[in-house]
This record gives sequence, structure tokens and C-alpha cells, in this order.
Amino acid sequence: MIDLRGITKSYSTGSQTLQVLKGVDLAVGSGELVAIMGSSGSGKSTLLNILGLLDAYDGGTYKLDGKLVANLSERRAAEMRRELLGFVFQSFNLINFKTAAENVALPLYYQKVPRKERTVRSHALLERVGLLDWADHLPSQMSGGQKQRVAIARALAANPRVILADEPTGALDSKTSEDVMSLLKELNGEGMTMVVVTHESDIAAACQRTIRLRDGVVESGGYV
Amino acid sequence: MFDRDAWLEVANNVLAHPLRTTLTGLSVALGIFILVVMQGLGYGLQHGVEGQFADDAVNSIWVEGGRTQVAYRGNQSNRPIKLNNGDVPGLASQADTIPAYSRRIRMWGAEVIWENPDGENPSGNFGLRGVDPAHIELERSNLLSGRFINERDVLESRKVAVVGPNIVEELFRSAEPVGAFVRINGVLFQVVGTFEDPGSRWENRVTYVPFSTAQALFRSDDSFDQIIYSTGDMTTDATIAQSGRMLGWLKDVKAVHPDDSRGVRVDNNNEEYAMYASIFEGIRLFIWGIGLMTLLAGAVGVANILAIGVKERTKEIGVRKALGATNGSIVSLVVMESTVLMLVSGSLGLMLAVGLLTTVAPMANHEYFQNPQVDHRIALFALVVLVLVGLASGLGPALRAVAIRPVEALRDE
Ligand SMILES: Nc1ncnc2c1ncn2[C@@H]1O[C@H](COP(=O)(O)OP(=O)(O)O)[C@@H](O)[C@H]1O
Ligand SMILES: [Mg+2]
Repeated sequence: MIDLRGITKSYSTGSQTLQVLKGVDLAVGSGELVAIMGSSGSGKSTLLNILGLLDAYDGGTYKLDGKLVANLSERRAAEMRRELLGFVFQSFNLINFKTAAENVALPLYYQKVPRKERTVRSHALLERVGLLDWADHLPSQMSGGQKQRVAIARALAANPRVILADEPTGALDSKTSEDVMSLLKELNGEGMTMVVVTHESDIAAACQRTIRLRDGVVESGGYV
Repeated sequence: MFDRDAWLEVANNVLAHPLRTTLTGLSVALGIFILVVMQGLGYGLQHGVEGQFADDAVNSIWVEGGRTQVAYRGNQSNRPIKLNNGDVPGLASQADTIPAYSRRIRMWGAEVIWENPDGENPSGNFGLRGVDPAHIELERSNLLSGRFINERDVLESRKVAVVGPNIVEELFRSAEPVGAFVRINGVLFQVVGTFEDPGSRWENRVTYVPFSTAQALFRSDDSFDQIIYSTGDMTTDATIAQSGRMLGWLKDVKAVHPDDSRGVRVDNNNEEYAMYASIFEGIRLFIWGIGLMTLLAGAVGVANILAIGVKERTKEIGVRKALGATNGSIVSLVVMESTVLMLVSGSLGLMLAVGLLTTVAPMANHEYFQNPQVDHRIALFALVVLVLVGLASGLGPALRAVAIRPVEALRDE
């Protein structure tokens, strides 16, 4: 599903150039649930943004779903994100003036799904994450764990091939973290491919495999 | 871009930010309100002054004496210049055609007493004018009953009078004025007619008597104050040329220095009318200028608020992009939001302005201010400007929103 060879990425701030990724090799198979671990600042988010087509890489090759991802136009990137990828963020990134159901329906809006069907599907997804009763609530009326479950429902809405989660439990307490992780594991059990970035070892332990990032390269776990 | 979902999304976003919407809406509504109300007031002023012109025939030339400012041909300055009966043929010789004319003797305050045979004799102070028969057309007065001064009245210096509505009201009340006798400054006159004048209040406080009668009774010589010529359907240029010739002739006869503007005066309403017309053109331009400026200020306000809005929404826009929004959909979202905002609040300001003008208009009728009205073309134009400005002011922030890269937007900080 995901195949990276020698991916490099650097940031230049003024005269300084920071080489964050120095040649990342890894593969994630269809239906896998893998964790990416590493210390803070090791480039986990950078890597995930590249996987998510939110950022470009400097060198190497990236194949997503068998297709080579290189020199994408903004339009084509938006299209691929819409069709292949779902995102879950540490700070949820729900749109705060939209209700839970509206937030979940947003990817469907961009897929030009008719309004009626959007409503039906967003409610079904909210039921799937156990929040049907909260469909008409605003994010500000929900707890962190509930917000993250709405965000997961939203990531599922577009029916993606892969869900990318950046520290999905980073802003949650340990009890809610467990709930969220068990939801992700359930979804994985239904066949969804997932990549979870984390720096907590118990979260990584809940995954099938752990890819360790260090000094810009994969230290261990890059392949099955 | 114009599907129902996009509009719902816009409505949703606009309503979700009440403060921002209110602020933007207020500045735009205020701009268009000021533009339309000022325009309406400008029209009111214009109608008022045009009403003043309705007082006298626009196509006329007014000649009157004054005081010299410059010593000339052995005469001291500050010498009063009077028109005399002898000047009339000479002035007429300067005219293109033999014009209708009226000489005029003015008295500001004359005591008028009604010699009422069956009761007390009410009295009052009114204006008095000795005039020729053509005066009624030149002054654009309307005869209400009886007749105006005629040729024979002037030839025979008859003691007849035509009275204005204020005199009828204050002296005769419900009694019939025509046929009654009035004593004016001690001399008995018979009332032969009544008139009214749409021009000004003063014009309705006047009693008209034959020119020759007034001259014989109230002047020691053959002088008079003014002479008014009709210019019929002459062109403005011809009228101005003719008044120039009359002025030159009169200055020569009265020994007034050619550069002395106060010795004698020859005015024509054509010239004055053209001057007022250009003043109104100026006022209108000025109002447009101010209106457009307020509108522009409103637009800048909208652009600013939208720009702040986009900055506040960096994260939201990043999320939308991560969820598959294209650049086009982001641009049209922001531009449609600004246009809807401008249009809705602009229409609100427009309706308020129209409402104000239509309710206040009937109350505000002053001599120099009548019938303020809304120019529908201006209202329409303003709406078009609003839409264009809405599009333009939304475009900058929209392009900035597009430039936001989802990674930047989503960074946790
Ligand atoms: N846009 C950027 N410009 C400059 N430096 C960046 C940028 N994004 C990330 N970095 C730097 O790259 C390094 C890796 O960042 P990140 O991928 O966010 O690490 P992690 O998610 O593992 O904590 C950090 O040192 C960070 O400061
Ligand atoms: Mg990170």
C-alpha cells in the first residue's frame, strides 16, 4: 500500500538548512496497523505529511497504492487525498462552527456526494463511533475523546484506503486514549490500513508493528 | 460553483460568525445609506431652487438701476442711477424682436385698508407694485378671479388693484374682494382681480396697481425701478447677447463707466439658470465623490475583515484542503461569502435609505428644499458597484487563503 525508498526532506530557515529525513525506507502493507515512533523532533510529523501528500519530499521514491507520487499538481494532490486518505490529528482539527454531523460530512461534500446521502452517511458513521446522539452538537460541547471519535468518523467518511493519524491520543488522558486506540484497532480489524504516529510506547504496543525513526533514518521495523 | 450546496456552505459560514458579519455589513450598509440619502437630499435642494426659478419666466431679461462705483465723465461715484420712461424706446431698440415687457415700481410697505361698507375696516401692511399688463406672464402668476391690470388701466391711470392671497385672507377673509374698495396709502382703489404666485411667500403679499397710477401717485418724477423683458423662445446665446447690448446702451446713456458693475444691472435668468445648473452639476459630482468614497471605505473594511477572517481560518482552510478541497472551491467560498455579505447588507442600507427618504420627504418641504427623491438608476448602480466591490474585496483574501499550505495550517502550536 505504501512504499518509501530513500526519502529525503530538509527545511531551510534563513541560511540554516535542517536535514530532517536522510533516506527513509519503509513499507506498509494493506490492512496493516503500524506505529511510527521516535523522539520529539525526529521527523515523525514530517514523514506523515509526506505520506499524506500534504508536503513534498526532496529525494527518493514514494509509491501509494501502487502509483508513483511525484511532482503532483495541487489539484491532483487534492484529488488523491480526497480518494485515498483519511487524516486524524492530535488537536482534532474539527471546524468549530460546524456540528459533529456537518464535520463528518465535509469530505463527502468535497466528493460531491448529494446532500441527502451525506446526511445519511455521516449519521451512520457517527453511530459507528458511538456518537449518534451527539450529531447536532458543536465540537465545543464535546470532550476530547468525543472530538477525536468525530475526527475518526470524518476520516472514514471518504472511504479511504489508508488512515494517517498524527499523535491521535496526544491530547487525551490514558483512559480515553485506550478507547480511541480500541476504536482504531476495531477499524483495522475490519480491514482498514492505518499508520499511527506516536511517542508513547503503550500506544505503539497496541499496534502490529513499530517503525522507529532516529537521526532521519529508520532505525528498525521498516519492513515486516 | 453555483450549486445549492455551495450557497448553503456560504450561508452557514456567514451566519456562524455573527460579529464579523455584523461589522462588515454595518460598514457597507452605512456606505450605501449615505450615498443614497445624500443623493436624495441633493435632489431636494435642486428641486427647491428650481422651484424658485419657477417664480419668474426663465426666458426674461431684468433691467434695473443702482449706484455707480467709479467716477466717470465728470460725475462723482456713488451716484444713484434711475430708469426713466424715456429709456424705454432706446432699450427696445437693442432687442431682436419687439418684446413683451413690464416696467415696475416697487414699494415694500404700503398700508392697505378695506373700506368695508357693512362693518369695521381691517387693515394691514403689504407690498405694492405698479406694473404693465404683461407683468402677470413675466412673473408667472396665476389669475384667480376677476382680471389683471390691462392697457386701458395704464393709459388712463385708473385706480384699480389686483390683490394677492395673503391680502384676501387677512383683510377680506370670506368676503368677496372683487368689486370692493381699498385705501392704499390714503388713495382709494377698486379691487378688480385676485391672483396667486407659486414662487415665494413674498409674492403672495403683493398688491398690483397700474404702472402709470403708481408713478403719478408715489413718484415725483418719471422714474421707475425695473423693466422686465420677455425673450420668448430666443436661444440662450441670443438672450445673453441682447442683455449685453442693453447693458452697453444703458451705461452709455447714463454715463456709467464700462467696468462699473453696480451702476446699472441687466440680468437674464438664462445666464443665472445656466450658472445654477452648473452648480448643481458640481453638487451632484461632490455627492457622488463622497458616496463612492464611503462605499470604498466600506469595501476596504470588508476586505480587511475578510483578510482577518482568512487569517483566523487558516486552520479551517488547511483542514478543508486535507479533506480534499481544491483551490477553486476555496476561492469561490471566500469570494461568494464577501459578495453575499456586500449584497445583503448593501440592500439593507438601500432599503433604509429609500424608506427614510420616502417617509421624511413629505415633511421636509421648504422653499429651497423640495421633494428629495431616490434615483433608481443610482440605486441600481450602487448595487452593481457593491457586487463588483464584493468580488474584488473577496479576491485578495481568497488568493491568500489558497496560498495557505495544508501543512502550515495544521501545525500544532
Ligand atoms: N516548516 C518547517 N520549517 C522548518 N523546520 C521545520 C518545519 N517543520 C518541521 N521542522 C523541523 O523539523 C524537525 C522535525 O519536525 P517534526 O516532523 O514535526 O518532528 P516530530 O513530529 O517527530 O516531533 C524539527 O526540528 C522541526 O523544528
Ligand atoms: Mg509531531
